[in-house]
Amino acid sequence: MHELSMANSMVEAILDTAKKNDAIQVTEAVLEVGELTMLNPEQLRFMMDVLREDTILKDAEIIINMIPIEIECESCGFKGVSKTDEEMDHLMAVATCPKCDNTRVHIIQGQECNIKTIKIEKED
Amino acid sequence: MHNIASIDVEQDIIQANDKLAYENRRILDENNVFAVDLVGAVGSGKTSLLEKLIDEMEDDIGVIAGDILSKFDAKRIEDKNVPVKGLNTGKECHLDAHLVEHALPDIPLEDISILFVENVGNLICPADFNLGTHVRTVIISVTEGDDTAEKHPMIFKGADMAIVNKVDLADAVGADADKMVKDVKTINPDIPVVKCSLKTGEGVDEIIALYKKFQSKK
Repeated sequence: MHELSMANSMVEAILDTAKKNDAIQVTEAVLEVGELTMLNPEQLRFMMDVLREDTILKDAEIIINMIPIEIECESCGFKGVSKTDEEMDHLMAVATCPKCDNTRVHIIQGQECNIKTIKIEKED
Repeated sequence: MHNIASIDVEQDIIQANDKLAYENRRILDENNVFAVDLVGAVGSGKTSLLEKLIDEMEDDIGVIAGDILSKFDAKRIEDKNVPVKGLNTGKECHLDAHLVEHALPDIPLEDISILFVENVGNLICPADFNLGTHVRTVIISVTEGDDTAEKHPMIFKGADMAIVNKVDLADAVGADADKMVKDVKTINPDIPVVKCSLKTGEGVDEIIALYKKFQSKK
């Protein structure tokens, strides 16, 4: 239930930001979730729906943007989106260099779990 | 009419954990304590490994034992007469830096040189949570199936050393321990991997030597 703790932290952080900005309602929250976090966006959404009941976040549109894995290869210097083979059962999520198949790679993005922006309503 | 405002939040939940982990590391370094995050599935042999290391290593060892609900693991370590703090996560499947931060004051850091943090039995969720330890060890056993490493690549990608445990049972369960070593090396080419049996003692000296090496490089 990795999703639950992430959802909990996200809801708390959104409500905290909303409160600091005197919001009476949150209407939208945009999240960025890296593919390497192993977070299932549907489960994340479900958990957030449970956690935001009875809060000013209740009716907000939650937009989850999945962030692809980007790597830099130590061997050939390739920098960009890593290949993930959806037909493959195993080793699917391992960042592999699409150019030379090397697995000695640095992960540039794909591990984030970020609250990007929120939209709020305030009193006049 | 209400005012509508768009706010850039840019708050990363994983980075928030990393900040707390950095603080844990600072506390450990201040006390000159070398810390290890020990991760592995339920039944992979985490607690048995700790019992063995407490018996075999000459260092003063402390343990933080993470568990969902019970105190069984903490009790087993307590019986070895070393400082131990049991950490219950409640419903969570991993330890995070915040939980470890709360456990640190209950460990006499000035009296120990090595702290083992036994994570909750899980190969998936702990991958995202840095605890502030110096080294992460992943322990897997042949009884989990010799495709375990292939199926859980991320935990090996972020680890510093791996142990393939229960190799004495490999034939009995039809598992290929060498394949498991090879798979870990494919995922993380630079990681040391030790084949081990806590029952026969195979590999234990090698594990201790690795910890000594990591500790001296800290």
